[in-house]
Amino acid sequence: MRNTGSSKRRAITAAATLGALLAATSSMAGSRILGTGAVSAIEGAAGGGLSPWAVLSSTASDDEIGVTAAATRAWVDDYQLTVTGASVNLHDRMEFSIARQTFELSTLGGELEQDIYGAKVRLFGDVLYHPLGVWSAGVMHKRLVDGTVPTALGADDVNGTDTYLSASKLLFNAFLGRNVLLNATLRNTSANQGGLLGFGGDQGGHAWMAEGSVGVFVTPNWVVGTEYRQKPDNLSVADEEDWQSVYSAYFFNKHVSLTGAWLDLGDIAGLPSQRGGYLSLQAAF
Amino acid sequence: MRLSQTLKSTSRSTLVVGALIGTLALTGCAQHQQPTTLYERMGGQPTIDAVVENLLYRIADDEEVVSYFANSNIDLFAASLAIQLCDVSDGPCQYDGPPMDRAHQTMGITDAHFNRVVEYLDAAMVEEGVPLAARNDMLGRLAPMYEDVMRLQ
Repeated sequence: MRNTGSSKRRAITAAATLGALLAATSSMAGSRILGTGAVSAIEGAAGGGLSPWAVLSSTASDDEIGVTAAATRAWVDDYQLTVTGASVNLHDRMEFSIARQTFELSTLGGELEQDIYGAKVRLFGDVLYHPLGVWSAGVMHKRLVDGTVPTALGADDVNGTDTYLSASKLLFNAFLGRNVLLNATLRNTSANQGGLLGFGGDQGGHAWMAEGSVGVFVTPNWVVGTEYRQKPDNLSVADEEDWQSVYSAYFFNKHVSLTGAWLDLGDIAGLPSQRGGYLSLQAAF
Repeated sequence: MRLSQTLKSTSRSTLVVGALIGTLALTGCAQHQQPTTLYERMGGQPTIDAVVENLLYRIADDEEVVSYFANSNIDLFAASLAIQLCDVSDGPCQYDGPPMDRAHQTMGITDAHFNRVVEYLDAAMVEEGVPLAARNDMLGRLAPMYEDVMRLQ
């Protein structure tokens, strides 16, 4: 009874906050152009859904500070991933992010959790104005809350650190008069299934992985695209495959975006061909 | 018999190839005759003039940005910008004003100000009925000027 009341109250508060954000004036937002802060990737950094991009979160520019919060859920055949995260953008130079991932093993039973602390620095450029786009380098430190299951599967570590180099570029008027967003990321990682199955294993450790995405801005508010993330395969008992998605992200304004995606995550922890849906709501200030 | 057949088929394929080339050449010409300059797709000089006026109203409402124009002759600026947009969009104009770096030197323009003016320009184009593809094309042609505008800040 008490639970129903509090969850109802929470829902009302959330709806009221969302309503206020949708109605918020643009003077409260950063000055960068709508959409240039991307959305929140599942590891907390600004990016697509699966991969961090070179742009920094929110629309904060050189003399501004931006903050974002995001809630994400992905459903595939035998698992459910929930992510809550937040980030801060300092002067469009540094981005700090934090994310909590909860991975529910719907079929196998139990859940895995990890915290991800991220930092990204914009090295040079701009996604709109620079001929080479924007280039950033980042780091993600990941800590499993309970490493028992990953260790039992053969993972070497329960903590790990990814480093990455990323480039993003908007091509104006590139496809049927629409703007096209390109992103490429090179990531050095030992994380199994992003870290949820620990780090390293009997088949390998740190390695460079390639990630990329292409999106078309159908309108200035709406981008549709696809993303690909190469993955390591360190555990002989649990085959790991590359991830891919087809996404649609809608920016209601500079404060609220909603992303939907179709996911193909391949084999996860012995269960084959994990496919499903993805929804992510982001608020930015 | 076989030779004449070969000749016939050769001449037939020559005909087909000739027809193909002719068709391609014709469609090529047709494509060249279509009104494809950005200037025309924007709506010509009347639309460009309206966009410039609309942009100036938006700038006038922004206290921070308008302060950069304190010592400017607004009429001269408007005429110069209209010619530049006409030139950039392949219209019948030749911009001969100052280069972008000298025109903006030591004004103290920040990225935030630059972004705001880009937003005002896009909003002005929306309000004056410039189609999305033409807006994207125009913004794409202006985007590289960022480097010049910011060079001497």
